[in-house]
Amino acid sequence: MGDVKLENVTKRYEDVTAVDNMNIQIHDGEFVCLVGPSGCGKSTTMEMVAGLTMPTEGTVHIAGREVTNLPPKDRGVAMVFQNIALFPHMDVYDNISFGLRLRNFEKDEIDRRVDKAAEVVQLEGMLDRMPDEMSGGQRQRVAIARAIVRQPDVFLMDEPLANLDAKLRVHMRTELQRLHKDLETTVIYVTHDQAEAMTMSDRIAIIDGGQLQQIDPPLECYNQPANLFVAGFIGSPSMNFVEGEVTENGFTSEYMDVEFDPSNYGVSAGDKVTLGVRPEDIYPAESGRSISSPTGEIRTKTDVIEPMGDEIFIYLLLSEEVETDLEDPAASNQLLISVPPDSDVEEDQDMSVVLDRNKIHLFDTESGQAIEHSLVASPAASGASGTSGAESDD
Amino acid sequence: MASEGGTATRSSDSDSQGGYEGWVQSSIQNPDRAYRAAFYVVMIFFLVTTLFPLYWLFILAVTPNNMISNMGLLPKGFNPGAFVEVFTTLPFHWYMFNSFILALITTVIVLILASLAGYVFGRFDFKGRGALMLLILAISYFPPAAFLLPLFRLFTGNIEILGLSSPMLYNTPGALFLPFSALSLPLAIFILTTFYAQIPDGLEDAARVEGTTRLGALFRVIVPLSAPGVATAAVLTFIWVYNEFFFSFLMVDGQAKNWAPIVWGILGYQGQYSASYNLMAAAGLIGVLPIAILVVIAQEKIVSGLTAGALKE
Repeated sequence: MGDVKLENVTKRYEDVTAVDNMNIQIHDGEFVCLVGPSGCGKSTTMEMVAGLTMPTEGTVHIAGREVTNLPPKDRGVAMVFQNIALFPHMDVYDNISFGLRLRNFEKDEIDRRVDKAAEVVQLEGMLDRMPDEMSGGQRQRVAIARAIVRQPDVFLMDEPLANLDAKLRVHMRTELQRLHKDLETTVIYVTHDQAEAMTMSDRIAIIDGGQLQQIDPPLECYNQPANLFVAGFIGSPSMNFVEGEVTENGFTSEYMDVEFDPSNYGVSAGDKVTLGVRPEDIYPAESGRSISSPTGEIRTKTDVIEPMGDEIFIYLLLSEEVETDLEDPAASNQLLISVPPDSDVEEDQDMSVVLDRNKIHLFDTESGQAIEHSLVASPAASGASGTSGAESDD
Repeated sequence: MASEGGTATRSSDSDSQGGYEGWVQSSIQNPDRAYRAAFYVVMIFFLVTTLFPLYWLFILAVTPNNMISNMGLLPKGFNPGAFVEVFTTLPFHWYMFNSFILALITTVIVLILASLAGYVFGRFDFKGRGALMLLILAISYFPPAAFLLPLFRLFTGNIEILGLSSPMLYNTPGALFLPFSALSLPLAIFILTTFYAQIPDGLEDAARVEGTTRLGALFRVIVPLSAPGVATAAVLTFIWVYNEFFFSFLMVDGQAKNWAPIVWGILGYQGQYSASYNLMAAAGLIGVLPIAILVVIAQEKIVSGLTAGALKE
């Protein structure tokens, strides 16, 4: 049993609240990623599970036992650190067996377990090496072996791959997944890399400003983000946002309109809403005819084109006067779209695009909360077409 | 490319301006020579200043006592028997043993207490940390003599605390290692604080998650990784206590069985009407030996600690 439960956990430092009233329940054997930008409180949350930081308020349960005030050693957790944190004065064997020796295991049992762990992470024959004689990947494996050898209830991993080079990172990612499949132990994994979170986890907990924004399976977070932050954080490149207002016919903004019946979505005319749509859900008008429920055409002009090989990213300007702001792809006056690699596009050409109504998200601008993740149910949409940009009216 | 004419002019200049100018010229062109010369000058200076006192002690020790007057740089006569006589006249080995044990006890106490203090100062951020460090620094600047009278009264049972008279520690090791420890703690705390603060937090966290307490992490991970710092603090404390004169002289009555250290042993060769300078010199040389050996061993430890201590996280 390795379930973890955080109840109303809060960590306040003198001048900041690092974690604010966090409630998370993680089931036995689950792989949960805590993601969020730097300083969002995800590491602090993990440290409170590990016992390295004591919560100001709230309780932590591991395997059905309250551990809020227990020291780390009595919690049945093992941890892999971002900086790997092998003991430099011990060889691999001593590093892996450190926890077992502290718990006075029999020598035979220690040997057996260390050999087994070394086999799992493919470190056989390296037990007498010192950490500084090993490569980054090997050291990370030793750290993982040190964690699994004690057969803990819960693994805590604090950005374990962040210090590895890109190629090794992808490789270790696969190995960690295989390890989780074999051991079936609960894993809590902290990362700021949303790609890591998407690929590895059963559920993702997105944290911002010390608060849990959403905890759901990866695709659910991607397709049904709970709020503006999750929508912008999950997915790369991130979702396009257009701020606007609800009218009686649907959504309107300075540059584009989308028609729908507000009453179907619990919004009414005058409400400030933000429309969100992912780059891959925007189509050039001519190919957009193939999708089931396109919006009306939106007239734009291409600006910067980024060929990625398997797709092309195009920055579209919604208004003539403004330049593309590459720093903030989600700026309201531009759209980022992704098109197939064989598309024939050039910079500074006129281009009309349509949005896939199935994939349009609506958020309350004020609170950021999601209102709707698809505008296809709207009866008003059938047959009606959205008007193009403001300029097209004249 | 210098023209032939230019080279000729320069060489004729240095010829005409004499050897000194020539030497300066060649040093500028070839600075390695100047560095090497400076190295030898400085090294010889240090060797002479540090080794000459030992040589002088040796001369005095091998010169028979009745011939010690108007000494030159060479011994008058040769009497190696003085090194044996040192032990037959007085139980000098006993005094050395006392000093050694006192230094050892003090070093152990200081290392344990300074480790705990260094851990707190080096790894925790708490209110008043700076002020406390400053207080310790201030105490280390106190002249030991300022403590002497109150401590002497305390250790001879002349002070009453809540109706109980203070314990009689005069002529016991307690009267020595207590003030020794107190006086050498500040330096050791400063050294260890610096070293412990440099150990990455991740290593301590890893040890604690793996199953140690905070104290366990300190002694199993932080202290071994700070070996050079711990060795430095230990050697400095040991040498300081071994060399200490003030309390060693005043807190015991001078008898070997009463924990009198080396200073009393050496003074013992000085009678009311005669002084055996050769024996004092020989005893001085013998007394230096343990420290010399310790420093050689510890230095190896310190150097190996420094090279092995590449603390990558």
